[in-house]
Amino acid sequence: MNERRTDESGFDPLDRALASLPRDVQPSRDLWAGISAEISASSPVVVALPWRRFGSTRSWMQLAASVLLIAASSVTTYVIVQRSMQQQVLQARESAARQLQEAPAIAAMPASFGGQEAMSAGYLKARATLDKEFNERIATLPPVTRAKLERDLADLRRAASEISTTLAAHPSDPLLQELLLSTYQSELGLLGSVTDMTNTTETRM
Amino acid sequence: MTSGTDATNTVVSAGGSPLSDAALVAAARGGDTRAFERLYRLHSGRVLGVCLRMTRRRDIAEDCVQQTFIRAWRSLAAFEGRSAFGTWLHRIAVNEVLTYARNHGTRVEATLDDVEEESDEAVAAGRDGVNEYDAGEVMDVERALATLPEGSRHVVVLQAVYGYSHEEVSDMLGIAVGTCKAQLHRGRKLLRERLGLPESVS
Repeated sequence: MNERRTDESGFDPLDRALASLPRDVQPSRDLWAGISAEISASSPVVVALPWRRFGSTRSWMQLAASVLLIAASSVTTYVIVQRSMQQQVLQARESAARQLQEAPAIAAMPASFGGQEAMSAGYLKARATLDKEFNERIATLPPVTRAKLERDLADLRRAASEISTTLAAHPSDPLLQELLLSTYQSELGLLGSVTDMTNTTETRM
Repeated sequence: MTSGTDATNTVVSAGGSPLSDAALVAAARGGDTRAFERLYRLHSGRVLGVCLRMTRRRDIAEDCVQQTFIRAWRSLAAFEGRSAFGTWLHRIAVNEVLTYARNHGTRVEATLDDVEEESDEAVAAGRDGVNEYDAGEVMDVERALATLPEGSRHVVVLQAVYGYSHEEVSDMLGIAVGTCKAQLHRGRKLLRERLGLPESVS
């Protein structure tokens, strides 16, 4: 069944012929427009949390998560703006230095956007608290649910870490800035949702 | 698990920064359509290649690509990362092609003109294969592939062109592994005849 006849170079001519085919084929029209319209019209895909019941439970952890989401957005936006301003200042300094043929600016301000070290201490403390609550409450959940939540959280944290690292190397990339923000938001949403779920379960009991 | 696509695909964003599929998938699962668009830009060419060679019709293939990514978006929460994201997409794409064929007759009819036109376009669209063949020879291979019977063509495309294993192809197409092997044997034999390549030794 496994027929192979090789040529002088040791390759099957048929395999070589098939290997010559382009794997990628470019579409004749922009297919993304149709896809975008369709997925925008449907519910956005969120990390699967069928137990999420916003509005049904008003635990303090939910509130904290919401505050943290806003805080994360604000902090990130602040850092983005700061970073942008720093770059502008640096560029202006460098430009002026070149023009005046003086020495370069004394020291560039540290560029730490993209890493947790850029986040405020308050944010990190609140996040740690939420994380601790998550770990305590997740232990009360069924193993299958727990495994899925832990996997989803690990995925989000790996993604955030990679995006953050990449952002450090490409600080002016707006897509990376936005992706990092949305990934942090998703992480906080996931942490908060577990509290919601466990509270709902407790209420039913 | 073997796979026909790289598990470590990276994408270069507008600013030139690379991100892995895993990071983009995680962001997209949170509802970020920009991350999903990046995944589309990275994978759509290969998905279209699969669909076009399976259907032999560009209009149908492009519809299947759109449906593939729409379905992928809706199913992202179910993607567990056990296979490469590209492999997962190809499974959805193959399913879309087969569903289309079921809903529109047993097979997608393509005229000889369609086949020649699509072969020409596929060759013109990209050359990421082994480029020791010139464009005319590649076109001959495309045409020979397009004239294979549907069952054989599907298996040859997925296995010999895109590198999936017998087990993966049988799973994608919903056929037995033995059937897959037989279809591959038949397809390769026909291709040798049509391309004027030497008969197999065994």
